[in-house]
Amino acid sequence: MLLKGLRDIASRQKWVAIAMATIVLGGILSVVSPVFLTLSNFQAILVQASVTSIMAIGMTFIILTAGIDISVGAILFVTSALFAQLMISTESYLLAFGVTIICATSLGALNGILVIRFAVSPLITTLATYSIYRGAAIHLTGAQNIPVPREMGFLGNGRILGVPVPILILIAVTILGIYVLNRTRLGVYARAIGNSERSAKETNLPVGRVTVAIYAFSGFVTGIAGLVLLARVGGLQSGIGIGIEFTVIAAVILGGTKLTGGSGTVIGSVIGAIFLVLIDNGLNLMNASPYIYDIVRGSVLLAAVAIDRYSAVRQRAALDAQRASLIAS
Amino acid sequence: MKKLLGAVASVAIVAATQVAADGITIGLSVDQLFESRVAVNNGIHAEAQDRGYDVIEVVADGDAQQQNAQIQSLIAQGVDAILVCAVDQNTIERALIAAKRAGIPVVAYDRDLPDSTVVQSFVGPDSLVDGRLAGEYTAAALAAYEGQINIVELIGALNDQNGIDRSLGFREGIASLENVNIIEVPTDWASDRALSGTQNAFQATPDIAAVFAATDTHIPAVETVLTDLGRLVPVGEEGHVVITGVNGSRDGYDAVMSGTADAFVVMGTEATGRTGVDLVARILAGETVERTNYVGGHLYTAADAEANAAKIWGAPK
Repeated sequence: MLLKGLRDIASRQKWVAIAMATIVLGGILSVVSPVFLTLSNFQAILVQASVTSIMAIGMTFIILTAGIDISVGAILFVTSALFAQLMISTESYLLAFGVTIICATSLGALNGILVIRFAVSPLITTLATYSIYRGAAIHLTGAQNIPVPREMGFLGNGRILGVPVPILILIAVTILGIYVLNRTRLGVYARAIGNSERSAKETNLPVGRVTVAIYAFSGFVTGIAGLVLLARVGGLQSGIGIGIEFTVIAAVILGGTKLTGGSGTVIGSVIGAIFLVLIDNGLNLMNASPYIYDIVRGSVLLAAVAIDRYSAVRQRAALDAQRASLIAS
Repeated sequence: MKKLLGAVASVAIVAATQVAADGITIGLSVDQLFESRVAVNNGIHAEAQDRGYDVIEVVADGDAQQQNAQIQSLIAQGVDAILVCAVDQNTIERALIAAKRAGIPVVAYDRDLPDSTVVQSFVGPDSLVDGRLAGEYTAAALAAYEGQINIVELIGALNDQNGIDRSLGFREGIASLENVNIIEVPTDWASDRALSGTQNAFQATPDIAAVFAATDTHIPAVETVLTDLGRLVPVGEEGHVVITGVNGSRDGYDAVMSGTADAFVVMGTEATGRTGVDLVARILAGETVERTNYVGGHLYTAADAEANAAKIWGAPK
């Protein structure tokens, strides 16, 4: 009965599947390592997942429109580089924060404009901007490491009422993402575009403006994530953000957002990111051989995708059966 | 797409660059740009300038296929010699063979290509010794430690010989310690992975006595974790976690000077770059050179780092 109930919920809310997988993985880890079920470890997991989760929230909107942004790691790098340089030259947090967030939002918007303007696959467009943004950041910094002021560590290490600041930022961005997706026209339009761009255009939805706004939103949250990451690692390094786009996209897909667009949730993407961190956390807690990390990560991802696919097939079969019985009656 | 960009870049380079007809031109093929690589490259440029050589530098951004195309373009431009830091030996070997056929000598720097049939000489760090220096320091610092000694090792890329050798050297260096438990954390040279891995390691094993970072650019991430846990105790005080690293970056220098880290092994980046050009010059002059040329690292602590800042490539100048 309980299983059937959970299955029904999972079929309606796709994020429940990844939530259940996360709980199962957590259960296994709590047996394997006594340290797992501690408050400090939970905090560590959420803090580690904060950067990917924040970026995944923005990516959710993009994938909802059946788009993709490969350049988010480069946006993270270029905005972090800009922040570090501005801090050196102006020593003004306000200016550095402001310009960095505006820059991140603008780079995201530029991606959206290029996707709409050239009507080329978002994958190709953002692959090109990935190269441009990353190159610009390397040029800006001369590939040098730039330490950030110690006070900035508050963003990465600080606590408010005992809660780590990265977790608070994650909660705030999650609430913002859920609100925008479920309570604003932007969210509704994003789903509509993902379901059918042609229908969206035929019903006079502002497809171009919505697409630009969504890529800009992703850029905005990536800028925030960049600042959190910069504060946590203590400085800018030229390798920052390399490959993070794949982790972010994996989190979104694991969270139940369809790559083909139209369906997905913010909370699912956040849980997807936490799930990915959980894998590393578990391997670290078990002091696993460094050579098996990639194998385990890949296998778990594959299993998660297979389970998701299996549940989708079952869901479709159930719907077909329901439809057949309705027709028969 | 990357291949296409690489080909376009190669054509542009061929079109834009005029190789000096009389002087010597070195083709510099770089795997990717980051702080210590730039420091070595600066040494190459400085030595080349001193000798009146031209340098054509191409950067592969970590893409072996792109590096392959770039080396082909350097050959097409008729460079006199190639200095290469390879992304991946197997992928570029074909291009290196083409260089050999064109009579262009190849010298590898920073990353050796031990199985290459083309590379005439290598100059770079002796990572085994660098790791051993850090290990011996750690062993001395923990000589009086009682009970099991838990050491976190932040490993570099698992397919990078320098990272592997630093790890092996470190283990040789701590061989005198007994009852050691090494907690390996793979980082792939990424500080965000070093950060999360260190955090997890301290969750699983709170009584960690030491951290060894394959690159000292990870030390600020270790500092973040220790700050989170309220365990950031300066060197020499009760409860201090012994921290060492290899590289010689500003991060390492600052960490040692602030008392967060104990010691760091500084690579001779400028000497590596200058030696690379010197090897090229000697090969072009028909001299026989050593196949392997190591530039030894040096361990510094807070006691001598500031006085030797000029020798530490990452120290503020």
